Amino acid sequence: MLKGAEIVLQCVRAEGVDLVFGYPGGAIMPLYDALEGSGVRHVLTRHEQGAVFAAEGYARVTGKVGVAMATSGPGATNLVTGIADAKMDSVPLVCITGQVRTAMIGTDAFQETDVFGVTLSLTKWSRLVRTIDEIPEVVAEGFHWARSGRPGPVLIDIPTDILKAKKEFSGPVKFTPHARPADAKAEGAFSDTIVALLQRATRPVALVGAGAKLSGAVPQLRQLLDDLNIPTFATVHGLGAVPPQSPYYLGMVGMHGTRAANTALHETDLLLVFGARLDDRVTGDPTRFAPHAKIVHFEIDPAQLDRVRACELPVIGNLADTIPAFHAELRRASLPDWSGWRAVACGPERAELDPRGLAQPTIRFLDELFSRLPQDNVIIADVGQHQMWAAQRYRSSSPRGFVTSGGLGAMGFALPAAVGVQLAKPETCVLCVSGDGGFQMNIQELATVHRLGLPIKMVIVDNKYLGMVRQWQQLFYARNYAETDLSDNPDFVEIAKAYKIHGWRLNEAAMAEYPVSAETGDLLENFLRSPEPELLVFDCAPEANVYPMVPAGAALSEMVYEDE
Amino acid sequence: MQVFHIRYRNAQGTLMRILNAVSRRGLDLTSVHAEYAGQDHAVTLLLQVTPKQAGQLYREWYAIVDVTEVRSSPVTREHADAAWAPHPPASAGVPEQSARAALA
Repeated sequence: MLKGAEIVLQCVRAEGVDLVFGYPGGAIMPLYDALEGSGVRHVLTRHEQGAVFAAEGYARVTGKVGVAMATSGPGATNLVTGIADAKMDSVPLVCITGQVRTAMIGTDAFQETDVFGVTLSLTKWSRLVRTIDEIPEVVAEGFHWARSGRPGPVLIDIPTDILKAKKEFSGPVKFTPHARPADAKAEGAFSDTIVALLQRATRPVALVGAGAKLSGAVPQLRQLLDDLNIPTFATVHGLGAVPPQSPYYLGMVGMHGTRAANTALHETDLLLVFGARLDDRVTGDPTRFAPHAKIVHFEIDPAQLDRVRACELPVIGNLADTIPAFHAELRRASLPDWSGWRAVACGPERAELDPRGLAQPTIRFLDELFSRLPQDNVIIADVGQHQMWAAQRYRSSSPRGFVTSGGLGAMGFALPAAVGVQLAKPETCVLCVSGDGGFQMNIQELATVHRLGLPIKMVIVDNKYLGMVRQWQQLFYARNYAETDLSDNPDFVEIAKAYKIHGWRLNEAAMAEYPVSAETGDLLENFLRSPEPELLVFDCAPEANVYPMVPAGAALSEMVYEDE
Repeated sequence: MQVFHIRYRNAQGTLMRILNAVSRRGLDLTSVHAEYAGQDHAVTLLLQVTPKQAGQLYREWYAIVDVTEVRSSPVTREHADAAWAPHPPASAGVPEQSARAALA
């Protein structure tokens, strides 16, 4: 006879999970009681939001399902932001929550929340387990939906009496899904149509999004793009999918994208979209997005088609299937000579301007830091100005090498996500870049970092403001810096010390010389090469802004390049 | 106005997800009728939507795990009449003794 809790853990283990993140509490105590000897390692964070972001970090770099556990009531609701984040960025995530005992559900019992109802619009699938008999099927089905199609979050809510109940257990089960209309795949003829469109196009471009890495089709996509040899750019989640040194690659596109990428996207007459959902941060004003273009949209989730702009041809399916089919047809076709278009779109006239103005020292700092990273590295960025600077300066060819909360833009993401990333990749250099605002939102996870001895390299870009909001207040609200002043920040180095983590300081003066001085170089090397967790606080100009910028509501052609 | 017919497996939350796709767009649920339909369930929704919203709703409903079919049809007089039926009194159909007990 096994308890429900033991059955849960056996079923989770059968799904290939050996690491979960969580925080215990009353309703979920039976599950924690069963951990020892289960083969599932539990990582204790210091907030449930830390647990779910850590599970996300783990999932984002491995492609495996991340698992987070929390108790009922406030424990469960503290998972909500992470669940929303996983939904927006297509992260395979299973959240297991304790619930009050079955007889008390619906009575507003102590630590009872209807987390099933709260997360209905945020989860791909969810279940409140009603009997111990349901557990194997529910776990199997939950993991299936988390990882299949467009990956996403699921929730399994288990009353505490069911975790304690006992039954004879014959073993985990496999889930066999029903065929679904959304599983319909693109017909082979789509390739002919795309080739025909390409043959009529004079200014074709390609946009690469998260789907490239989620599908595992990056090698095939790279071969296709090499053969197409058309101006290509990436969303923030597509960074690393295309090697930056590719002669046709123009960098990141969108609100803080490169001049070349945004201009080419505005001018194109044929846009091939590979696994991007044409988010408003990418399109700018959707009514003026790619005004001359027909759009061919390769996408696994039909719900993402035609959201902001109708496409000429949807190609529904996994890129791992659709790209090879398209590439095979492309190889048989003769295509126009686009060398003139390439020369303009990828030419020196549209190259990025050297960093200038107040942001120059910070950008130099990031360039210096990134250039010194070992080849095997992952950069995690929190949300804000530092995130955009880091994305703009990212030059790696690792598809899962840049991790950030893109769709939801959840501050406080980076530090706990870095915990998950480092545990997933113990030998990898993990660089966690945060702002002073976001770092404080999950600062308690320094305890997790210290306890586990994770050698994460944490950087705080400290401008003593809620920087991105301040930038918008400067540009669009006549410098009314309402509630964005963080000038009374604590001493982060002293806080790190209290968590028994060594801290370093650097400021903009160190970036006045370029290349940097030997002293600064040694500091950065020691910081990065240390086998321990380290924190580096970089003090930077309070009013530095991120450029280029496409103001909200503007077209991609209306970029602003510097302060007026 | 447009009528949407959605067939789904009546797993936990499926109907709520279907309705959520409407409410998250700030659309009014003018009329909702859910019932058994063979081995599945079916819900009929009467909605005031633009063509773009209709397309988005179609795709979002199909993305719901347990939705099996989505169709639309013209509004009939029956639908129109149902939409304008007066709200029944609060105690309609409730036995008098039960109503008294509820107020005790």
